[in-house]
Amino acid sequence: MAAPSAHDPDQALLARIAEIWNARAEGLISHMNLKIEEPRRDSVRIRMPFNPDFTADEEQTLIHGGILTALLDSAFGLANFLAVENVETMATLDLRVEYLRPAAARADVMVEAECYHQTRHVVFNSGRVWLDIPGRPEVARALAAFLVTRGEGMSFLEKLATGGPGA
Amino acid sequence: MNRDELQAQCMRVPYFRFIGFEIDEVGEEYVVARLDQAGRHIGNSVIGAFHGGMLASFMEAVASAAVSRNCNIRRPKPVNMTVDFLRPALAGTLFVRAEIVRKGRRIASIEAIASQKDAAKPVARGLFHFLLI
Repeated sequence: MAAPSAHDPDQALLARIAEIWNARAEGLISHMNLKIEEPRRDSVRIRMPFNPDFTADEEQTLIHGGILTALLDSAFGLANFLAVENVETMATLDLRVEYLRPAAARADVMVEAECYHQTRHVVFNSGRVWLDIPGRPEVARALAAFLVTRGEGMSFLEKLATGGPGA
Repeated sequence: MNRDELQAQCMRVPYFRFIGFEIDEVGEEYVVARLDQAGRHIGNSVIGAFHGGMLASFMEAVASAAVSRNCNIRRPKPVNMTVDFLRPALAGTLFVRAEIVRKGRRIASIEAIASQKDAAKPVARGLFHFLLI
């Protein structure tokens, strides 16, 4: 576990980057209606509110594994956006998801995505998913690798600090 | 189960309705489905690419349909999945062919290959395990 976010000196900046990422989201991610709760330099925690469209059964009480996979992939994208200096492009190389138990509740889904190692070209992620119900164990774990390209000059973080969004 | 029956069974799953795919072909050991890109499938709007997680879950849905049909199980339980993303999945139609690689007493292993216009250049391939009991 990383240190509590309140002690991270660039917490406000990370939160701002995360919000910009979320506000610019289109397509699938905007349907997920994500709430970014804990953006850090090397990990992020996100909430996906319960959505009956994302269920597996006609009674709409079981969250489908496929949407958990999509959520993990999205969370890794944001984690890498926060973690990788000068990131220009990002592509998922591979993704492995373990479905530990059924996500059987009409509950919000929580995901924590970590960027646990990066080289110049490749970033390694791990993630876990649980339902927002006290005492309930994890429902999924995942590993992924992303291929990144890095631009020249200031990082996105630095640009934000000196200029403003999109500067 | 024929194509229409399998399609109807899939569309009873809310998340499969959200994905919105169509089954093209069914065989004893395989299922082929297509997905025409709509706004909710997009991951990168600059290049109009499919979201990688949407692609992976579409592949899993077709794999699940193949198990469902072959093993006569209404909702196969997914154990895990791995997907290799080989090329960007761009605007247009995605085709997924899911084939039963092995069916044991407890586990079925399914391989799914996703492609677009050129079947010889797959955009992704994946392996999916389902528990049959």
